[in-house]
Amino acid sequence: MSDGRTTSPTFADVNRDVLRTLDPPGNLYFAWMCVVALLLAGFFAAWAGQVWWGMGMAGKRVPQMWAMYITTFVFWIGIGHAGTLISAILYLFRARWRTSIYRAAEAMTIFAVMTAGLFPLIHAGRMWFAYFLLPYPNQRDLWPNFRSPLVWDVFAISTYLSISTVFFIVGLVPDIAALRDASRGWRRRIYAMLALGWEGADTQWRHYRRAYGLLASLATPLVLSVHSVVSWDFAMALVPGWHSTLFAPFFVDGAIFSGFAMVLILALPMRHFFRLHAYIQEKHLDAMGKLILVTGLVLTYFYLCEIFTSLYSGEHIEKASLFWKVTANYAWALWTMYFCNCVAPLVLFWRRARTSPVVLYIVSILVLIGMWFERFNIIVPSLGHDFYPYTWGIYYPSPTDTMIVIGSFSFFFLLFLGFIKVMPSLSIVEVKETIPPPVRDRAHGH
Amino acid sequence: MATETILGVFAHVDTTVRALEELRARGYHDLTVYTPLPVHEIEEVLERDRPVSRVRLFTLIGGLTGIASAFILTIWSSLVWGQVTGGKYLQLVPGGIIGSSLPPFFIIAFELMVLFGGLATVIGLIVLGRLPRFRQSPAFDPRFTNDRFGVAIHCAPERAGAVHELLRAAGAEEITAR
Amino acid sequence: MKRRDFFKIVTASGAAAATGGCQQATESILPLVVPNEQIVPGVASWFATVCRECPAGCGVLAKNREGRIVKLEGNPDHPVNAGALCLRGQAALQGLYHPDRVAGPLMREGSGSFAAATWEAAEKLVAERIGALRIAGKGRAIALVSQLENGSLGVLLDRWSAALGARPRVTLEPFAYEAIRAANRSTFNRDAIPYYAFEDAEVVLSFGADFIETWLSNVNYARTFARMHSFRDGRAGTFIHVEPRQSLTASNADEWVRNAPGTEGLLALAILRVMVDEGMVDRRYGEAVAGIDLNRAADTSGVGLETIKHVAKVFAHAQPGLAVGGGVAVTGSNATESQIAINLLNAAAGNVGKTVRFGPDSAYGKVTPHTEVAALARAMGGGEVEVLVLGPGVNPAFTLPSGLKLADAIRKVPFVVSFSNVPDQTSELAQVVLPDTHWLESWGDYAPREGVLGLLQPTMAPIRDSRPMGDILLRIGRAVLGTEAGKGPLPWPTFERYVKAAWEPVVKGALEGALRRGGLFTDVAPVAVTAKIAPVEPSPAKLEGDAGGFTLLAYPSLRFYDGRSAVSSWLQEAPDTMTQAVWDAWVEIPAETAGKLGIAQGDMLAIKSPQGSLELPAYISSTLHPGAIAIPMGHRYAPYQRPRYVGADPRSLNPMAILPAASDATSGALAFMSVKVTIAKLGTRRPLAVLQATHDQDHRELAQHVDLGAAREQALRGKPPHGAPISMYPDTQYPGPRWGMAIDVDACVGCQACVVACQAENNVPVVGKASAAYGRQLHWLRLERWAEGKPERPTHLFLPMLCQHCEVAPCEPVCPVYAAYRTDEGLNGQVYNRCVGTRYCGNNCPYHVRRFNWFQYEFPAPLEVQLNPDVTVRQLGVMEKCTMCVQRIIAGKDRARDEKRGVRDGDIVTACQQTCPTQAITFGNLKDDASAVTKLTHSPRAYHVLEEVGTRPSITYLRKVVREHA
Repeated sequence: MSDGRTTSPTFADVNRDVLRTLDPPGNLYFAWMCVVALLLAGFFAAWAGQVWWGMGMAGKRVPQMWAMYITTFVFWIGIGHAGTLISAILYLFRARWRTSIYRAAEAMTIFAVMTAGLFPLIHAGRMWFAYFLLPYPNQRDLWPNFRSPLVWDVFAISTYLSISTVFFIVGLVPDIAALRDASRGWRRRIYAMLALGWEGADTQWRHYRRAYGLLASLATPLVLSVHSVVSWDFAMALVPGWHSTLFAPFFVDGAIFSGFAMVLILALPMRHFFRLHAYIQEKHLDAMGKLILVTGLVLTYFYLCEIFTSLYSGEHIEKASLFWKVTANYAWALWTMYFCNCVAPLVLFWRRARTSPVVLYIVSILVLIGMWFERFNIIVPSLGHDFYPYTWGIYYPSPTDTMIVIGSFSFFFLLFLGFIKVMPSLSIVEVKETIPPPVRDRAHGH
Repeated sequence: MATETILGVFAHVDTTVRALEELRARGYHDLTVYTPLPVHEIEEVLERDRPVSRVRLFTLIGGLTGIASAFILTIWSSLVWGQVTGGKYLQLVPGGIIGSSLPPFFIIAFELMVLFGGLATVIGLIVLGRLPRFRQSPAFDPRFTNDRFGVAIHCAPERAGAVHELLRAAGAEEITAR
Repeated sequence: MKRRDFFKIVTASGAAAATGGCQQATESILPLVVPNEQIVPGVASWFATVCRECPAGCGVLAKNREGRIVKLEGNPDHPVNAGALCLRGQAALQGLYHPDRVAGPLMREGSGSFAAATWEAAEKLVAERIGALRIAGKGRAIALVSQLENGSLGVLLDRWSAALGARPRVTLEPFAYEAIRAANRSTFNRDAIPYYAFEDAEVVLSFGADFIETWLSNVNYARTFARMHSFRDGRAGTFIHVEPRQSLTASNADEWVRNAPGTEGLLALAILRVMVDEGMVDRRYGEAVAGIDLNRAADTSGVGLETIKHVAKVFAHAQPGLAVGGGVAVTGSNATESQIAINLLNAAAGNVGKTVRFGPDSAYGKVTPHTEVAALARAMGGGEVEVLVLGPGVNPAFTLPSGLKLADAIRKVPFVVSFSNVPDQTSELAQVVLPDTHWLESWGDYAPREGVLGLLQPTMAPIRDSRPMGDILLRIGRAVLGTEAGKGPLPWPTFERYVKAAWEPVVKGALEGALRRGGLFTDVAPVAVTAKIAPVEPSPAKLEGDAGGFTLLAYPSLRFYDGRSAVSSWLQEAPDTMTQAVWDAWVEIPAETAGKLGIAQGDMLAIKSPQGSLELPAYISSTLHPGAIAIPMGHRYAPYQRPRYVGADPRSLNPMAILPAASDATSGALAFMSVKVTIAKLGTRRPLAVLQATHDQDHRELAQHVDLGAAREQALRGKPPHGAPISMYPDTQYPGPRWGMAIDVDACVGCQACVVACQAENNVPVVGKASAAYGRQLHWLRLERWAEGKPERPTHLFLPMLCQHCEVAPCEPVCPVYAAYRTDEGLNGQVYNRCVGTRYCGNNCPYHVRRFNWFQYEFPAPLEVQLNPDVTVRQLGVMEKCTMCVQRIIAGKDRARDEKRGVRDGDIVTACQQTCPTQAITFGNLKDDASAVTKLTHSPRAYHVLEEVGTRPSITYLRKVVREHA
């Protein structure tokens, strides 16, 4: 499809091109897999050590009882937002350009939430009792405390994961059917099973369309709620720098911001290696560039609000916390964040930047760095300089929590790299929707 | 009485639609249309005299169940194990229920509404769409998930000829009896 | 079975144990403080005995559970400490259950290393050596050194020495206060250390006497000082402290006067001079201070003339006042003169007989003069001594200045017998180690001052194969003399028998009663003395070393005394209140010097004296006299603490290593302030484990104060109560009591006793230097030091901070599993079994008093025996915090129920409250209007820490009362 820009592909082309992405991978792919697997091994080793010797293996202390684990947890949850946003909200808005990326984005969402889901476990001092957080029936009538934001998290995130997954699978079924009809042997048998015997009959499509629409409209408020709930982990606490009503929209916007950056980081290489320029076209890149730009500007506005409110509050402890963040030990992290999230995206004001994969890629990486540091700056410095001067302190990462944070990325990429080789990472059906249907004589066509 | 199934394979949307219009005009209602993607024009023809899909009913019931079960779970568990935290509580005392800490429960209610609603929708799809289906239906052809459209008419054998005629006239590139 | 028969049998078996060496259950020896027919499992029995961690001799009640001591508390009936204990007393259990405790007799092998031996073999060897000398008629070659033992053991040891013709016994105490004795000889013609009645003084003027840390009897004087000083119904005494360094005691002063080291006497005389000139005192005293030129005095001492005059005025007008002298700066070559000057101050102000009472004299008067110690050292060095017997608690190789070369001298002694039951620097030099029983396992008696006869009794069976020093010496003595039990000069079969025999005439068969009370306490009438007024010529303290160097102030440590308590991990981890440093020693250097030499805290410095060099991390002090540097004494690590709690072993932490053999010119007393040292940066760092991030409250008013005037005003007129915080939610109802606490910041002197008591009561593990430095210490109760005002002359506030048991607790609603919840008695409960370890509560606690088990902390054997059976030992990964001693609350409620009544004040006493020498902590029921805590909660001085956060704590603090002129 080198000349994909000039003439739009036919239905058959779509099938061919998409199914081609499932061809046996090359050495580069396996090289990547090895790196990822290696890091993952380190990740599990570090975790095992922490479970065995205790939470002290991670660099946490008083007052930073939370640190990089929760930072990374919120980071991944944030990443997990773009997918369902694209597939649900943009679907309801009938944003045509979403079709070429939404499958990858949804997969990303699910894997990101799965990765995030590891962290509450990693973080718990006695992770083997983590099930105490679930409302399971027991003869002692012990139940979780539904007033605790952490229990809200349990519900919000498990719901989000299940609904996203369901949504994802429903979207996959017709494509798996296409896969089934294109493949032979044992593959065919497996795909046949997964396709649930989909045939694309009108009786199927009519319910399918309706169900898909309903799922989208359920998922839409969910997307907005999940990160609000996560933000309440902080907003509900007293800690200066956490205790703010601003947090819900602030977090949601940041999530979308970082989510789209991650989508680009995944989509651009796919576009390059799978030669999908016909489907992921410049207009798609442009649209996503715009979205990153907008969410970035909104985020900048929230940063300003945050500073303003703490200054305007006249509350000494709030102000002290702010000044300390801006000037003291963690200032470098704060300024990194401001640069990556507020300054870097501004280049996307230029269309040439928005359509240049290289620029987009660099900006996206900066955005991810910036958004990781945003969570870091909310958690670590705020705790480090809160109400009680006696316990003020500086957190230093230890090998264990550093390894686990890095490992979480390998966990994510392992899942994603695996996915793109067994499932169509473009939606065959929806891509077909975007190209003009085959018509014999124009005169008759409406 | 035995019915025969005649399958017309089309390469284009407009020809398919034309065929469908003709068939409906002739009073053939017992037909199945296979498409690689949902096509608006085709749906228009087919949905004209059909009721709206009942999937949404599943969704509604699921959602309401979710809300109800959430409030039951949270309130009941607070009452059976009425702990005071942060000076807030909801307790069952001889005098009745005391305390006031409901707001957090709305969050749980929302989440369970979405969860139950979503799952119910999928169940609806599976039930109504007759999924999963383990035997391939006779009229199906692998090309229908690629770039071909299929119209299968189930009719009495004596009318098969007419259907053949009609489909060819509409522009089917291939007509077979199954 | 009858109590009496039981008693007989057990006594017999006890004797059998002593002779047979098999370990009988001596912990069931009756009588108990709380008499019961037999030991009931689950019910504690209390034994009264005497604390021997330092010569103060406080009364102790040992809590025995199932035959093991789990907690020590002060004996309320004891005149010295009246129920309180200092942190060293609380930590004595760490010595009892010390992991390095000598398992049994040790004998030096040919290879030079120790090998386990039987008691018989060891005793035989010692008897042979001594016998040989005796036959050779060289009895004088036998020397016996013990700590201050003025009771039966002392007498027995003297008889033993006499019987064997040995040298007279030497009583070795590094801090002997000889200068005070000498001064009293010259001024009052009485060789004694009097009782200082702080409680009756209106103004206390202290010249370096660190009576809140170690001076004479710190619990006694901290307690009586609080009685005199803390604000009570509108009245409060004044405390002025003169010292070059702001010690803990100095930081409790209303006015701290920083003087040049060694000029205390001069200042005292200058003050006296002012009093004379202003006609505040008898003119006759002019004779004594004729030679004093006020201006020169002001220059030399670096204290402004105005200050001198002002102090004189305050002191002269006190009815009565009290002047005391001590501390390192008053142990120089001019110590006696300084003490004489202070005596004259007291005499002139008419305090003698009122606040300075001869008669109930301190036991310190019995310490062997340092001159004789030095003589013994010379004799050993000269090879005159061939057998040296060292009692427990005697560690001259460590606790005395290396200038005395005692270690070398001891090495010259061919045969050294040590009774130390924990390895130390001196027992390492011994040929035979015969581990003595710990004082909690021993019979004995000790009289801290005239009229106070404390009785020691075994509170449990020896945890190691150790035997009483008395028994062993009796057996050895008889073996040497060839006599058997019942005959000869040493007839008593055991030391226990000896003690009982010695007490029989005193108690006349009522020994049980005495044992139950903890001894025999009588009031001794003050003896009238007249002051001899003679001119005093104040000479400057003579200092060796580089004249351009810094005066080295090696001061006794609040935590380790002379070093004998340093084996305790609890004490190592209880922060030094002023520096808030744990585990390591440090050298305190003036901020000016640090600035000049570019020294940062934690930089390693070499401190050089003619005696040698010592390497310690720097602690920058803004208050220390620019001409001085200070090093705490007694820091050392026990073998088991390395590498478990601290990294590599520093060669030496003890300033004794660089002190010369100097003494006070007049009294011959050991001089600790004797040398000027130079400091040099080493370029390496050893950061200190400092628990407190900053001493600046940053306007958060955690520790608050009020002026004396305002406090008086409020005490008289009352203060308009500010409205209760508003809430959207209905107020919490408490069906039963609501527990609460009141902490008087004005009374708290920052002695850390509560911290260690809490650790002992609640099974709080020790985490070690690295963890403590990284904010992972586990203390449920911490003692904060907050500084206000000018950095070089700060006002200090001490704030004990523990779980505030908030009514609207931020930690509770965030816990997903109800591990943190509110009990219906107003406690903030923590369910360890339920805790998952999300640590959300720890973040959300504005006071950061919640502690997390970062690792699985262990209690090295046999320390686990000390664990309180009523308190859970927490697992790794759970949160923990102060429970307000819920186990004591339950016990108190049960007792009240058994007596069919409600809980009253005194039924429940938390560990911190129980041990507090100044009674700064009050616990009780906030719903009982009659209870003390409720009254204090409504005091005009009452406030809550971080009240604006709206947590409604159950712990109320009372503002410190600061004097206007301070």
